[in-house]
Amino acid sequence: METQPSTPKPKLFIVYFLLPALCIYTIFFFVPIIDSIRLSFYDANGLIVKEFVGWGNFKKLFTVYPFKERLINAFTNNIEFFLIVTFIQNFIGFLIAYLITRRMWGANTVRKISFLPTTLSVIVVGFLFSKLIFNPVFGVLDRILEAVGLEFLIHAWLGDPATALPVLAVVISWQFMGETILFYTAAIDNIPQEIVEAAKIDGANQLQMIRYIVVPYIMPVIMIVTIIIFIGDFTQFDIVYAMATSQGNPVYATDLFGSLFYRAAFTVPARGGWGIGMGAAVSTVMSLVVFIGLAGWMVFFKSKKKVDY
Amino acid sequence: MKRYFKNVVLFCTICFVSISMITIGGHALAGTTLTFTSWRTDDTDGMNRVLAIYNKANPGVTVKFTPVADTEYDAQLMSSLQTGTGADIIFLRSFSSGRAVYDGGFLHVLDKEITALKDFPSSAKKAWSTDDGKTYGVPIFGVTHGIYYHKDTFKKYNLKAPGTWDEFIKVCQTLKKNGEKVLAQGAMDEWTLYEVVYSGLGANFYGGEKSRQALMAGKMKLTDKPFVEAFKRIDDLQPFLPRGYQGLDYVSMQQMFSAGRAVMFIGGSWEIGLFRSLGVTDIGWFPPPVKNKGDQLSYCFHVDAGIGINKKTKNYPEAIKFLKWTATPEYAQLVMKEVPGFYAYTPGNFKLDDDLAKAMISAAQGADITIRTTWEKLSDQTPSGNSLMNEALIKMLTDKLTPEQAAAYVQKGLSWYKP
Amino acid sequence: MPLKKVVTRTIYYGVIIFYVITIVYPIFLMTVTSLKPTREIFQNPYGFPETLYLNNYVELMVKANFGTYFINSILIVLISLLIIVMFSAPAAFVFARYSSRLNRFFYIYFLAGLVIPIRLGTISLLKMFVSMGLNDHIISLILINIAVGIPLGVFILTDFIKMIPRDLFDAARMDGCSEPGVFMRIVFPLLRPAIAALAIVIFIPIWNDFWFPLILIKSDSMKTIPLATALLFGQYNTNFGLVFAALSMASVPIVIFYLIFSKFFTKGLLQGAIKG
Repeated sequence: METQPSTPKPKLFIVYFLLPALCIYTIFFFVPIIDSIRLSFYDANGLIVKEFVGWGNFKKLFTVYPFKERLINAFTNNIEFFLIVTFIQNFIGFLIAYLITRRMWGANTVRKISFLPTTLSVIVVGFLFSKLIFNPVFGVLDRILEAVGLEFLIHAWLGDPATALPVLAVVISWQFMGETILFYTAAIDNIPQEIVEAAKIDGANQLQMIRYIVVPYIMPVIMIVTIIIFIGDFTQFDIVYAMATSQGNPVYATDLFGSLFYRAAFTVPARGGWGIGMGAAVSTVMSLVVFIGLAGWMVFFKSKKKVDY
Repeated sequence: MKRYFKNVVLFCTICFVSISMITIGGHALAGTTLTFTSWRTDDTDGMNRVLAIYNKANPGVTVKFTPVADTEYDAQLMSSLQTGTGADIIFLRSFSSGRAVYDGGFLHVLDKEITALKDFPSSAKKAWSTDDGKTYGVPIFGVTHGIYYHKDTFKKYNLKAPGTWDEFIKVCQTLKKNGEKVLAQGAMDEWTLYEVVYSGLGANFYGGEKSRQALMAGKMKLTDKPFVEAFKRIDDLQPFLPRGYQGLDYVSMQQMFSAGRAVMFIGGSWEIGLFRSLGVTDIGWFPPPVKNKGDQLSYCFHVDAGIGINKKTKNYPEAIKFLKWTATPEYAQLVMKEVPGFYAYTPGNFKLDDDLAKAMISAAQGADITIRTTWEKLSDQTPSGNSLMNEALIKMLTDKLTPEQAAAYVQKGLSWYKP
Repeated sequence: MPLKKVVTRTIYYGVIIFYVITIVYPIFLMTVTSLKPTREIFQNPYGFPETLYLNNYVELMVKANFGTYFINSILIVLISLLIIVMFSAPAAFVFARYSSRLNRFFYIYFLAGLVIPIRLGTISLLKMFVSMGLNDHIISLILINIAVGIPLGVFILTDFIKMIPRDLFDAARMDGCSEPGVFMRIVFPLLRPAIAALAIVIFIPIWNDFWFPLILIKSDSMKTIPLATALLFGQYNTNFGLVFAALSMASVPIVIFYLIFSKFFTKGLLQGAIKG
């Protein structure tokens, strides 16, 4: 007797339906993340875990030279990297998105093209920029600067510790700007026309429009974009590998958590390796930063959202 | 529902079977394949010619040369060994780095099987031996350091290869005055500064092998005058580096020099083959300039590479057979012919075809032979002497440290070292 | 007024054109470089090639074994995608139809996978695959891709199933269909557009993944396109023409794929993120 066909009672088949996804996801996603944290409390010889050392790895990581210096360096670099990328992607991304949502000729093509770099591999983009654009001998950038009479701007872009990290951040922004623009255009498209019209009748100019209508309306999307950038940047490795080797050249100026983790866990001591135990400790600190950051962003934007609405 | 899951299972099986068939098929076709890894990516063609001869003489066995970029080699090697998937035959760096591989339990001890090892010079053998005399690597080659130059440009300005440091600086100044780019040297790949420039050119100033030994014995420090002077001399070269040298990477340096965009290149003997293959014809070479006329040359003739066998190899008999061959004069002669600039330690008399290679080996005569400054012992732990030197030199050449501070920076980092 | 309009239009198009140039030029440069012999790259780095030089591509296929890497990458993408759909669709069905407390908990548990980066579990994954004997095999990469893809699959598909009108289910139930039957006969066929969107969104990160191949894959026969490209860069670093042919080859399939499907693409990506 089917009394309430629309809300059937749970049955055994639910278990079969959930189990495959649940198993794979738990075994190859959730458990490894927890287990990696556990491993950071062990001393290890290669992949063979030797003995429990408690907080030993972390003590070393936070107090002993050069572990402490590398960790702090990677952390501050990562924050700088994140700030630059967030700024460029949100600011320029919003600007372009705002422009191409006006009804004008070619806007659709620009939308399509803007996402093109995002489809490429970070490795490809990194090599492309380090070898063909920023290279001091045959890089195109310096020659273009020369051609337009801006020679004084010519610079050892990737060699100067002061500019190397920002250059990497710009390249990453170049690549993922498309994603930001995609989100922002969709969000702006979704703003109800009545609101826009009403504002126009009230005589709002472009800036006021952005400030009081567009930005508040797409705030949730800004939050999503920022979180995506945050997660991506604090586990970023590929761009450092491609543009500055896994050493984070020059002199660790472009070293991020990802590259520090890779070097620490998988290299020989003479080239900057610290062993798997210490590598796991770096990965745990990285996890901590990501988790705390995620929680922080959520809270920050939640409160902001409430104020604005 | 049943059908659905049947399909899932069936599908998965098909996928997994087809994948494994593809891979197994690949192996079955090739017979026994020995993979041979190295950081010498520039030598791929030359090594392939050498290995073709071995492969031809030993049907059923194929030795395949699969090098990894120098800067990533150690990370790739270590992680592949840790996961039990490393190449069968492995290039080992001398001393600390190679030792770390052995200490990880990844290498076979070779003394018993490869009897030819006992005739190798002990100065080379000790780079891949434990203190109690177990050898885990066959010394394959050493390399030297010096300065390449374009003969035509030197001729144009009537310059001669300099013998002393003052002459060298004068040559640099003349070239610079005439608007030439002087040195194709960069600071992006930091190892070139330490391994080639400081170890190569600095040895004449810090006192060569004697000082290096004293450093290891704890009798000298890097902050001592001779070592600091070497730092100072390297710093002298800064005005002659090309624009944007801070961002100039190793590959671009090579290209810059071989395209004639710079007159000189401080490099190692391993680059001969590369320059030849790029079709540069007017290259000359001179050894690191000495301090005063008539001084003995302190020549950095670095014990560079040995080869060992992965403990987890599935083809041990084939691998050991191949390694035995690498310890023969035949192999040594072949490599020196096909990959000029590498000098075998295998006892025997060898013929060198390449003029540059000849010039480099003849400079060793009567010279004080040494190796890279902090390579032995001083790089056994974190922070390693090698990385400290890399960091200090790059900081010095980007004006973050004075030569004195650079020396102090390394010395401070080495505080873990107990002679 | 008209003057003002002209000025704003000019600024508008100026900004847009500059932006488009910065996007397109580097990609153009990469492709064009791959069609020049190495010597010409250094003499004439930024323009069109003097003659079309295809040797780099020939060399890439013959010398550098690029065919194998292509097959590997395609196998990984296809198998991962199929299994992700097969595993996440039933789970999504359950989440969409039954909202018990336990189900809600599992749903959130899956959603966590959308924001937590898998790289944090690298060391443990490596250890696990080594003990299973699966490292250095593309199966390990497929398993990771599935684990990463399932959360997104569950999320997008749950959303989609929720939008299916209830009447459809009720009618099927009236006809005597069991719940799994409803899923197989009613829901699964309807899911096609959602699955397409999911496939498109997941395709790119799987194809481009570099980190896990770098850590797990060592033998040549198992390499994927991004790993092979990166290592090739080190291996033939003086042969610029060749390495840029490799970079172009690594990008071409995905760019074509994107241009064909860009319409679905936008939808899929937005669904994946905005509603979260």
